[in-house]
Amino acid sequence: MENLQQDTSQEIVRLDAINKRFGDTEALKSLTMSIREGEFVTFLGPSGCGKSTTLRILGGFETPTSGRVIVNGEDVTKLPPNRRKVNMVFQDYALFPHMTVRRNISFGLELKGLSKSQIVQRCDELMGFLELSAYADRLPDQLSGGQRQRVALARALAPDPALLLLDEPLGALDAKLRGQVQAELKSIQRRTSKTFFFVTHDQDEALTMSDRIVVMNKGVVEQDGTPEELYFHPSSRFVAEFVGETNLIEGHVDTVSGSDVTLDWRGLKLAGRPPVSGGLEAGSNVAASIRLEGLKLSLDKPEDQPNSVSVRVSGRTFKGSRTELDLQVESAPEISMRAYVDTALAEELGEAPVWASWSQEAMAVLRD
Amino acid sequence: MTRHTRLVMSMIYWAFVLYIFVPLALMVMMGFKDSKFIGFPIRSWTLEWYIGVFGNSEVMSAFGYSMVIGITSTLISLFVGVWIAVLLNGRGFVGKGVIYGLTLLPALIPGIISAISFRIYAQLWGVPPGTGAIIWCHAVHNVPFVVLIVSARLGTLPKSYLDAARDLGADPLIAFMRVTLPYLRPALIGGSVFCMLISFDDFVRSFFLGGYQPTLPVLIFAKLRSGMSPEINAIATVVLVLTALLGIWAERTTRRLKKGY
Repeated sequence: MENLQQDTSQEIVRLDAINKRFGDTEALKSLTMSIREGEFVTFLGPSGCGKSTTLRILGGFETPTSGRVIVNGEDVTKLPPNRRKVNMVFQDYALFPHMTVRRNISFGLELKGLSKSQIVQRCDELMGFLELSAYADRLPDQLSGGQRQRVALARALAPDPALLLLDEPLGALDAKLRGQVQAELKSIQRRTSKTFFFVTHDQDEALTMSDRIVVMNKGVVEQDGTPEELYFHPSSRFVAEFVGETNLIEGHVDTVSGSDVTLDWRGLKLAGRPPVSGGLEAGSNVAASIRLEGLKLSLDKPEDQPNSVSVRVSGRTFKGSRTELDLQVESAPEISMRAYVDTALAEELGEAPVWASWSQEAMAVLRD
Repeated sequence: MTRHTRLVMSMIYWAFVLYIFVPLALMVMMGFKDSKFIGFPIRSWTLEWYIGVFGNSEVMSAFGYSMVIGITSTLISLFVGVWIAVLLNGRGFVGKGVIYGLTLLPALIPGIISAISFRIYAQLWGVPPGTGAIIWCHAVHNVPFVVLIVSARLGTLPKSYLDAARDLGADPLIAFMRVTLPYLRPALIGGSVFCMLISFDDFVRSFFLGGYQPTLPVLIFAKLRSGMSPEINAIATVVLVLTALLGIWAERTTRRLKKGY
């Protein structure tokens, strides 16, 4: 919310207390957020979290039950899609099958009433930019998945929208191509300095491409921040589990002061960081998240780490240069943890108990 | 499948082919017979009957008349049929089922019943028998086929195509004209050919609602009353060839279009 006020000059889209109901289900509950010019914003969440509904409301395909959509300072809540300066890349690309690549890209330009020469020029420009020039006269049917995706992108960029919506556009691509296209998409966004609003359920995609990620769950925003913030400082259990992999431990708050929290976990005092949003009370039951790579393993008890616990290695999964270890806490074998270690180190560790330790920085205490 | 059953199956197939094509072959052969009477043996062959058909102004004008009726009624049923199909494929509304049922009804009513009803109805409204009445009756009869064929295609139109068109600045009408209609092209071509053939083939409705000018089937019927002659076989053969060519063309075109290019 602080960001909102600071950057209103650059604000390009604002969603203002959006509610959306479908019958008895509330798809969105009082969603308020703003998007700044040139940002790559990702809406991330499981299916049914309201991310696609938000996208369709921005595109004009759904009308919110209440609330306002503001684009470039203009209230567009009631405007149909054809009268909004917002374009969309559809999940299935929705290229018109009877039109060539060039005609598909020209479609929006023709409807904008540009002259023939302007259309040809803009079209050539985009096809050159997206490396489609060689396919100008092909039909969508005669293109590969990656090419189709680029045509869909070119078609949506052609009318020069204030905001580009992308509805899981990588879902139809195979895993290998997807990584390549992610990088491409990010670079296209940088070079065009367009505002991208990307919707996905894939946290990898979100982490790779976004300037900012909005994690949605059950119609409300769980957390809104940069990929690094989300990964290292998740503020809720949902975010910690949904973004990346993590160890969750449950304890209760012993003391809170500023940016230090002491957690009482099975008699051990552990040091961690409070969530950005604050709101911890001493004595309350909470969960804390420690990333797999945040756990260090050693044979001797490390003196410089505030948190350490004795564990046994109960399983190993080889992952190339590193190995994922399954750990059992010695004093409580029903609690298991996971850690990434160098494969070389993993081989040194035997059956005997070892020490798992982590820094205060590595443990994020969550508001539950 | 064993070799034995395969043999039996192929025999049944060929028997069926013979059953269908022998009468047609006989009909075609008789059109080339150099004699006034139909029947074997054929002692000498001639093209005289064909030359006669193309030179016969009565036959040619009946053919032209049938074409005019076919084309006009097809255009009307296409317009009405597409409109109803779009309506029925859209969002639900009260009475949708009833409209669907009523739309299909003309295809199910026996020709003779519908012809008589139309005749009475036309009289009631003071519509004189003739071209208008025939076209009207054919168009009504053909609408259900257009609706069925177009609906089937419309059902496969991804909703995102229309969303994309709207997104890129098209209002609903432009989206329909520039995305839906081109997508429907195979169905429109298939549907028109189907309507044309039905209209061209129709005897009962044209007979009941016609005025003095005969359509081709009505003319053939009139000629039959004065006795069978190879001339009729020649007419029938020409019609057969034309309709078969039209059918094959439509089939190939729609198949190509459905693939998207």
